[in-house]
Amino acid sequence: MNQAIVDRILSAQTLLATGPFLALALGVLLLVLVETIPFLDRLRPVVFLAALAGAAWAATRTMTGPTLWVFEDTYVANSTTSWWSVLFVASTLIAWIFGKRYYREEARFQGEHDILLLTAASGLVLMAGARDLLVFFVGLEMLSVPLYALCAFRRARRDSVEAGMKYFMLGAFAAAIFLMGAALMYAGTGTLTLSTMQARGELLESPLALTGAAMLLASLFFKISVFPFHLWVPDVYQGAPSPVTTFMAIGTKAGAFAFLLPMALLLPSRSAGLIAAIALITIGVGNLAALVQTDLKRMLAYSGVAHAGTMLLAIAGDLHGDPQTGAASQAILFYMAAYVFTAGGAFGLVTMLEAQTGRPVTIESIRGLQWRRPGVAAAMALFMLSLGGIPATGGFLGKYLVFSVAVRAEMIPVAVIGVLLSVVALGYYLRVVVAMFMQPEVEGRPVPSESRVLPSAMALVCAAMVLVLGVLPGWFLENVR
Amino acid sequence: MLNLTNLVFLPLVGALLVAATPSKAVGLQRGITLLVTLVTAWIGLALCLDFDGSTAAIQFAEDARWFTLPGRIDVHYRLGMDGLSVLLVGLTAVLGPIVVLSTWGHIHQRVKEFMVWLLVMQTGMLGTFLSLDLVLFYFFWEVSLVPLYFILGIWGGERRLYATIKFFLYTLAGSFVMLIGVIWLIWTAGTTDVMRLMDVAGRLPVDTQIWLFSAFALSFAIKVPVMPFHTWLPDAHTEAPTSGSVILAGVLLKMGTYGLLRFGLSMFPGAAIEAAPWMMALGVIGIVYGALLSMAQTDVKRLIACSSVSHLGYVVVGLFALTQAGLRGSLLQMVNHGLSTGLLFLLIGMIYERRHTRALDQFGGIAAVMPIFALFLVFAVLSSVGLPGLNGFVGEYLILLGTFQASPWLAAIAVTGVIFGAVYLLMATRKMLFGPLVHSENRALTDLGAREIGLMLPIVVLCVWIGVQPNAFLSRTDGSLRDVQARIDRARAVRTASLGEIPVHRLELEGR
Repeated sequence: MNQAIVDRILSAQTLLATGPFLALALGVLLLVLVETIPFLDRLRPVVFLAALAGAAWAATRTMTGPTLWVFEDTYVANSTTSWWSVLFVASTLIAWIFGKRYYREEARFQGEHDILLLTAASGLVLMAGARDLLVFFVGLEMLSVPLYALCAFRRARRDSVEAGMKYFMLGAFAAAIFLMGAALMYAGTGTLTLSTMQARGELLESPLALTGAAMLLASLFFKISVFPFHLWVPDVYQGAPSPVTTFMAIGTKAGAFAFLLPMALLLPSRSAGLIAAIALITIGVGNLAALVQTDLKRMLAYSGVAHAGTMLLAIAGDLHGDPQTGAASQAILFYMAAYVFTAGGAFGLVTMLEAQTGRPVTIESIRGLQWRRPGVAAAMALFMLSLGGIPATGGFLGKYLVFSVAVRAEMIPVAVIGVLLSVVALGYYLRVVVAMFMQPEVEGRPVPSESRVLPSAMALVCAAMVLVLGVLPGWFLENVR
Repeated sequence: MLNLTNLVFLPLVGALLVAATPSKAVGLQRGITLLVTLVTAWIGLALCLDFDGSTAAIQFAEDARWFTLPGRIDVHYRLGMDGLSVLLVGLTAVLGPIVVLSTWGHIHQRVKEFMVWLLVMQTGMLGTFLSLDLVLFYFFWEVSLVPLYFILGIWGGERRLYATIKFFLYTLAGSFVMLIGVIWLIWTAGTTDVMRLMDVAGRLPVDTQIWLFSAFALSFAIKVPVMPFHTWLPDAHTEAPTSGSVILAGVLLKMGTYGLLRFGLSMFPGAAIEAAPWMMALGVIGIVYGALLSMAQTDVKRLIACSSVSHLGYVVVGLFALTQAGLRGSLLQMVNHGLSTGLLFLLIGMIYERRHTRALDQFGGIAAVMPIFALFLVFAVLSSVGLPGLNGFVGEYLILLGTFQASPWLAAIAVTGVIFGAVYLLMATRKMLFGPLVHSENRALTDLGAREIGLMLPIVVLCVWIGVQPNAFLSRTDGSLRDVQARIDRARAVRTASLGEIPVHRLELEGR
């Protein structure tokens, strides 16, 4: 190989740009090493946390300063991708800490679990930075393949295996559609790199490329769980081990959105109406289906569908208005940040309760929770209000920003229908609060009243972040973009 | 000490203090809450007394940058008092300790949580009235829903869960639509400062104003509630604990009428002129319909709840009469309704604590065993039906006067509400207090104690004071209401000009 090319690829700039990914990948390798050497497995949490910390630190180095394009414009590092990386690290940390002592029979495989989780996280980082369809695909698979295994991690339980199988079948299908779409786009535009496609904008008007773009969107919509590609979500979320569900709910969604944003810039502006319609249907379907759920994981799964629809509204608004302003990017980043801590906290508390009782968490089983676990109940109530978009929480400001993108693009009827559909959501969020605070405990089989230190601390951090994002968002609004 | 930040956030600090106490220390929790609300009331009243009503200027203003929205729109923490808010702030501040004292009788479980929510509620309500930044206003507006949701849902009656969810979803649907209006307005105007928004919004094309007005007015109309959005109110009131009802009737509903005044009339005068006939019609329908509903009730608490629909109908009619008399009357009537209906709910709560029923046919002849209770009830009823010399009369008279100036016909229909009101309230009073003592359970009833009398006395004093010397109160609102009227007149002139093809800009210049 030509020395010049090698030098260009292995420059300090490349190291800087891919820092977060490298930290996680190195962490994965070290974990494998630690796992194989008998005495070293105590170091596993240290290595895991160090990898996450390293990735977060590496991300902060590219937060300010110029945009770095590396690997022939196929990978980018700028403040947006850095913030996405920080969110991925936070998602992984939340899922991991709430998952402490979750596994019983599988506890001795915790090492595998952590390796897979960290690999998936590195895939997320790659997805956010990718500006090339193939690089993105590599990231997507690095995320998905470990997740298939993780979903089926409780191998003795049928619902877990079923979830893994379902996710694998549909995920493989989505991956195939992505590849097909990428191939069509290549046929239509002659490139796989987003920046080149954008430069040759008119080529995207070709039917071939448009079909390809539609297939790409379908596959991304599968990952962020948008109607009509959301049907796997409740089953998989319910069946998968709860720490994995937590990670999927916040991490996967964030990763797919991180790529959907630059990808959506390529779409013709007349697709705004279609995207808005899909977004509204998604909000409606998600919220209406969540209304009738009794299992908390299922309910939160459908609520996640509705939230994905809400964020999609910002993309529709962006397409309808002026896509170059970056308003949608900032709105979705903020929304997602709030969502990571809110839904992460909610799923996390469900994980913790499930670990303590050994049973699925339902509306019935958390009745009267405030008597035994006032702190958990209060945090859960806060998360529910934030998911519902009540002020003083991050969820409200996220909603404000997303809807303001739609309003600015003069999609006011769409925005009004959107908010009215989100009123439905309060119906089920409030049911959780009602059960915890306003109904008596169910006789027998109560939730143990002793608390667990690490998950409780994490819940406190999540709650604090939700409040900070809601009450003192100034710093985030100025720096996170 | 005497500033608006302390006024608004002292209750929140109190809530944190109460939350830090051990849950068994009920006495301590009650003590802290009472003390905090008393200090809040003192600050509130002192500020209201200091307030100069001759000008429309914002007083005791506080301003600090809060955060920046995309598009470089600075959101400020901006509080200030003007003639539109001064009376309502006073009302909220005064009712605080009264509500706390009333809970001695009926809140025995989970006292700590109740006190925390009560104090948070106080912060939310005061903040709503005092915010002069649209985003801050929206914050307080929605945040104040949450405490009442818990108060209703935990300490309410049998069908509390139904009532609380209905209340929350209903009001939230309105608020969410308003959110789109808020976003739109802020984006169009490029500022969140309410005072500057008033100038900008008033100059928007009338079509745009109508859309924005509708988004805001829907939310306020649900909160008031204006017929046909009233169905949540009787349920919420009936199921709420006494203290919840007092807050709901006394202050929370006023957030709706206050919103109509500040963010409906003052902000979109052009749209308000177009909407006035409709809003007045809805108000009048509400007056008559609410009165008819009340007549049909057998539960005395529900009866009073329905009468609120009727009484607040007056306020809406008075506001949208768009005359000085109507505006003054409405603003005063907001306070009057808070006092009289609050007093009625307190009394019903006291009898319920003794008798555990509110069905009208379970009473009769109570006056013989509870003379003091009877005295207070008759006073509250007379104040509510508008007996001259008491507060209700002044408000209703001004409203009817203002309405008559705008539309004699509507005033004629509205006045029937006064008669109906006298009919159902006096009939209910007769059924409860007079006649023979049919039910033996009622013989053993004990009359009101010192605490109960003491907590009602401030309300009684205020009722008489407003009735005898209304100008002490009305004069504080004059400056701001004149300013509102000027905005309306200007919009009216623009409207006639555009209808009569006179160049608009000239009239606009003359109007200023």
